[in-house]
Amino acid sequence: MTRNLRQNILVYALLAVVLIVFMTPIYLIVSSSVKPSPIMFQKPPAFLFTPTFEHYHDLFAMRPFTKFIWNSLIVALGSTAFSLTIGSLAAYAISRIRHKRMNDVAFWILSMRMFPPIAVVVPYYIIFKSAGLLDTPLALIIVYSTANIPLTVWLMKGFFDEVPLALEEAAAVDGYGLLATFWYVTLPLAAPGLAVSAVFCFIFSWNEFLFALMLTGSEAQTATVAVMSFWSSDAVQWGRIMAGSFIILIPGVIFVLTCQRWLVRGLTMGSVK
Amino acid sequence: MSAITLKNVIKKYGAVQVVHGVDLDIDEGEFVVLLGPSGCGKTTTLRMVAGLEDVSGGELSIGGQVVNNVAPKDRGVAMVFQNYALYPHMTVKKNMEFALRPLKLDKAEVDKRINDTAAILGLGELLERRPVQLSGGQRQRVAMGRAMVRTPDVFLFDEPLSNLDAKLRTQVRWEIGKLHQRLGTTVLYVTHDQVEAMTLADKVVIMRDGYVEQVGTPEEVYTAPQSTFVATFIGSPSMNMIEAKVVAERLEANGFSMPLPDRFQGKVTEGQAVTIGVRPIEIKRVAASSTGAMQANVEVTEYLGNEALLDLRVGPHELVAEVPADQRVEPGKVIHIALNEGAIHLFDTVSGRTLSE
Repeated sequence: MTRNLRQNILVYALLAVVLIVFMTPIYLIVSSSVKPSPIMFQKPPAFLFTPTFEHYHDLFAMRPFTKFIWNSLIVALGSTAFSLTIGSLAAYAISRIRHKRMNDVAFWILSMRMFPPIAVVVPYYIIFKSAGLLDTPLALIIVYSTANIPLTVWLMKGFFDEVPLALEEAAAVDGYGLLATFWYVTLPLAAPGLAVSAVFCFIFSWNEFLFALMLTGSEAQTATVAVMSFWSSDAVQWGRIMAGSFIILIPGVIFVLTCQRWLVRGLTMGSVK
Repeated sequence: MSAITLKNVIKKYGAVQVVHGVDLDIDEGEFVVLLGPSGCGKTTTLRMVAGLEDVSGGELSIGGQVVNNVAPKDRGVAMVFQNYALYPHMTVKKNMEFALRPLKLDKAEVDKRINDTAAILGLGELLERRPVQLSGGQRQRVAMGRAMVRTPDVFLFDEPLSNLDAKLRTQVRWEIGKLHQRLGTTVLYVTHDQVEAMTLADKVVIMRDGYVEQVGTPEEVYTAPQSTFVATFIGSPSMNMIEAKVVAERLEANGFSMPLPDRFQGKVTEGQAVTIGVRPIEIKRVAASSTGAMQANVEVTEYLGNEALLDLRVGPHELVAEVPADQRVEPGKVIHIALNEGAIHLFDTVSGRTLSE
């Protein structure tokens, strides 16, 4: 056996291990979601069975699950859009304005992410209750954005730092003001940063559970909380939980794949020598 | 009316002043080159004209309007950057369109201008390419094209040739000169390359440490340098500088002596410390017996084809002489030289200013 072949086998073996570790939960979710309830916990597990869609049917029949998915989408997309807008503008300012306290400002923004969520759940609850925002998507959009904006600021600052100043100067001489330059020149060149930020913001908002549980009721409940409601004191309806989990997986995957086409390197190549 | 006027223009970064009261008048259609070593304030001055740097003091006018507080976009200038600064996410055509968009022209006019410019600069084939797919020379031409399509009142060039190789530099230099003749637009051009300055400029502005040393035509700055700095900066190889004293109507230096040329009579005082400047080409080989002949040791000989450079030692002084190639000598030999008295320059050693006027 040649050295090359041995190396390849080792690499593929490692890949296989990684793949198994990552894919097993997904396999369990998918298979359990279509497994008839009676054989759900059979030992050894049944690999071959006639799939059933009863759990999916129950999911939508017993609960307004479509509405919860919509809530999740509104909250996740809303927070992502809001965070990207505010975050990239803030990042641009931090990247471009020369001021001796600018690093402190940047650190202060980052520190927003350092508090443990559980510590602020109750204050948030009280604030939103008095503001009349409990059980509204807006409350979750605000809460998620407080976590997403710092992340976006820090990611985007790095990307803006890479955009050559000369390009903005060229645009200024060519007749563009500050915002137009930002919109037509700087932001397009930081598109990969925007894509990365969008993925992180969306996934965080889409998956979030604690705040969604505490701050929403029947109206603004998100899919993650809804799925857990099948876990009650008298029964855990695993089939429905798995069916719900599988549905929850899908938008995230679609979103990441959509953003992926922007995740390219070397966008600014060829601009300045 | 002047196209650009600088009146006592100053630039400060905090407490550090980098441009000290520059006065300059640029006429309509004139090609003016700001020339100087790095850090002399020439690029800062250009950037102030472009509006990319604030003016800390003085008055800057373009087309008769004071523009100290006018945004770059409203100054009617176009700029070619040292690193080209092409928009990498746009094709060549889009780069030019983008520069035209603020002018709000109709589509036919936009296309006409782009096609005309592309024809002049030979960019026709490249219009659909992106900057990353272009060579250095092509990028340079696109950068010029992007500035040209706007038909601005003033062109600003910031060392546009410094990123090109030697051959391409000569070619593009020639193209820039031709373009200026054709378009007749006012040009302010920054470079540290004296060849670019001498070949392109109607007027050269030599800067040093944030001060203007001399303003003049290329011929004036070459033949009548106002200071030792200009004298040594312009011309290649550099002018030889010999420190001397005026003693009894002679210029006396250590191991070196010559009569004070008549034209300096009355302009110097007995005992004054002066600097004699003589261009390498004005040092001639002479016979040992001729008047004013000085003995010189040849230390290095550089053969350049038509001519040769001789590095000479005369007493403690090191001089460079440029002689026809067939008059060159081996290093280590001793020859006799004389300075062309009619071509020497005299400067006050303390102030560095010329004594020729």
